Amino acid sequence: MPCILALIIFGILGIFSATHRALAKEAFDCVFRRITFRPCNTDFQEKIKGKILSKLIIRSTFLAKMVNKHYEILSWIFFILMMGSAIWVFRGGYNFYVYGSCNGLNQSGFCAFDPSGENNKVTALGDGTTCGITQQTEASLTLKNVDLSGFPVKNADGKDKVVFIGCYACDYSRKAYPDILKLIENKNANYVFAHYPAKGDTTFLSDAGYCVDKMYKDKYWDFNNYLFSTDKNYILDKSNLDKILENFNFDVKKINECINNPETKTIVENQVKELNKTNVYGTPTIFINGKAFVGPKPYRVYRSAINKFIFF
Amino acid sequence: MLNIEKIRADFNILNKKNGSVPIYFDSACMSLKPNQVINAINDYYLNYPACAGRSSHKLGDTVTKKVKEARELIAKFINAEDENEIIFTRNTTEGANLFANSIGLKKGDIVLISDKEHNSNLVPWLLLRDKLGIVVKIIPSNEDGSFNLNNLSQMISGAKIVSIVHTSNLDGATNPIKEIVEIAHKNNALVFLDAAQSIAHKKIDVKDLDVDFLAFSGHKMLGPTGTGVLYGKYKLLEKLEPFIVGGDTVLYSTYTSYKFLPIPEKFEAGLQDYAGIIGLGEAVKYLSQFDFKDIKEHELKLNTYITEELGKIKQIKIIGPKDPKDRSGIINFYIDDTDMHKFAIMLDEMANISIRSGQHCVNSWFDSKKIFNSARVSLYLYNTMKEAEIFINNLNKIIKIL
Repeated sequence: MPCILALIIFGILGIFSATHRALAKEAFDCVFRRITFRPCNTDFQEKIKGKILSKLIIRSTFLAKMVNKHYEILSWIFFILMMGSAIWVFRGGYNFYVYGSCNGLNQSGFCAFDPSGENNKVTALGDGTTCGITQQTEASLTLKNVDLSGFPVKNADGKDKVVFIGCYACDYSRKAYPDILKLIENKNANYVFAHYPAKGDTTFLSDAGYCVDKMYKDKYWDFNNYLFSTDKNYILDKSNLDKILENFNFDVKKINECINNPETKTIVENQVKELNKTNVYGTPTIFINGKAFVGPKPYRVYRSAINKFIFF
Repeated sequence: MLNIEKIRADFNILNKKNGSVPIYFDSACMSLKPNQVINAINDYYLNYPACAGRSSHKLGDTVTKKVKEARELIAKFINAEDENEIIFTRNTTEGANLFANSIGLKKGDIVLISDKEHNSNLVPWLLLRDKLGIVVKIIPSNEDGSFNLNNLSQMISGAKIVSIVHTSNLDGATNPIKEIVEIAHKNNALVFLDAAQSIAHKKIDVKDLDVDFLAFSGHKMLGPTGTGVLYGKYKLLEKLEPFIVGGDTVLYSTYTSYKFLPIPEKFEAGLQDYAGIIGLGEAVKYLSQFDFKDIKEHELKLNTYITEELGKIKQIKIIGPKDPKDRSGIINFYIDDTDMHKFAIMLDEMANISIRSGQHCVNSWFDSKKIFNSARVSLYLYNTMKEAEIFINNLNKIIKIL
């Protein structure tokens, strides 16, 4: 057992150090002998043991004595711990690749590959001011019993289904948006966009979006792209809305009538109520074939979800 | 009496300014080299790196002269009759092989060796047993590892050769060579002496010992690695057939014939390690300044201290004679069911103490005694009592964790 342990440790250290490379070679020889049912080279075993004990004996004779006495058992314990760690690291790497977080889907614990937690940052719903990492609530995100029929749809015949719940004022939604567009483009997926006014007063943009979709369906996606790509402060200023609408050659008057229509208000409010049924707790929340991704994930995460690379 | 501080000043490795100075207790394997030897080797490469014997230019003449000087020094060192009785080899092993393969043994010839021979004085004979059909007989030692002359007397009849170690690298015990030679010669057997361990620790007088052949290495006697000597009585050397032949061994050759050079060139085939030979000569010169009695006394003082301290540790068993005066500078010890490599590694890591662990090329003895391996301390003229104390202190620490 010590030689397997030594092989792994020295194998890793050997990447950086020639001395350890030689030891790794000896350890490999030892492991090879073991698996071919031959005795391990005792020189190597004793060399490693001797080196460890000589370091310990300087500090504590008792500790050195214990290690010497229980060397084999300790080796097994370290081996098991190391294998556990290795599995944990592999799992973390896998999670990071497919979910953008080492800790699993939408988990915001520390991840060495994403130390600042960028992939999990959201604009929290509620007071509309909390941004950053929000610990996931127990609520399970779902699209079951959620009526999305009133929201803009692209590629209605697409095999895969992507639902983007985002907010124009949310930096994280704005970060995720281009990747989702790219995904839709590449995969020709059925795409539903739902604006959730999570931050600031953006309900007027929900109303405007609804009316544009209703009246200028073919122009809606250009309008939506514009809102996500233009300076946030500009689009959040209500007084600029008419200019924006004008730039798209929309009938500003008619759209404003639609926006101010109480029926529109009711529909938009109902849409938010429907979105709340998903148990959404922050934006962006992106459902890809039913699986929810909260926060702006790297593009590969969305692609993996579509490609069904996810095993767990 | 030896001036240890003065001696240590000659060894660069013992005077490192930066880094720790090793406590070198492995001189039975390889001695350290004094600066005088290293300088002599450097001098060859820097100032006259030419061939000896064959080139007639000034540089070649210098090498020829220096090699001749080395041969003379060595001849004088072992009190050989003639400098031409000194044949340069790479080491004792090569000397033993040269002798074994040149003496002209035939099927059925009997060779006697002791039960504590180094592989270099065992394997060549076993190989000849397999190739030629000679008979190799082992002379059993006494229980304490000392040589049993009675056993030799009983086995000598019909033997052609007694090939024996002088001082054993296993336990430091020195065999009674004069008595062995006397018994052998009375029975018309030749004696080959493996002097690898003794040459650096005691005065060897080949005339006094009356051995027929003797081999030793340079690297155990402060000389360079890859150097050694086979001594043989001139008349006996004349009867030997060369083992390795070619360049520099013949006076002339045609496509169908050759004529060998006289001894010793006839046995020194190919270009020699001139730097090594000159270095070996310098080592002999260096050693010659000391009285071997002083070296022996110094080693005994250290050996006695270490033996007494080891005696206080009940698990430790010392191989060979109990009395340190019978063990030269060697203390070889083991603990039942313990791999002694661990001791060597730990001493090295803990206090930079270099000792040897393993079976010391005497696997046959360990195999017969069912002992796994041992740790060997081997002392020399540059070791100090302080080093011995550090060794014992650290060994005691290791013992505590077993």
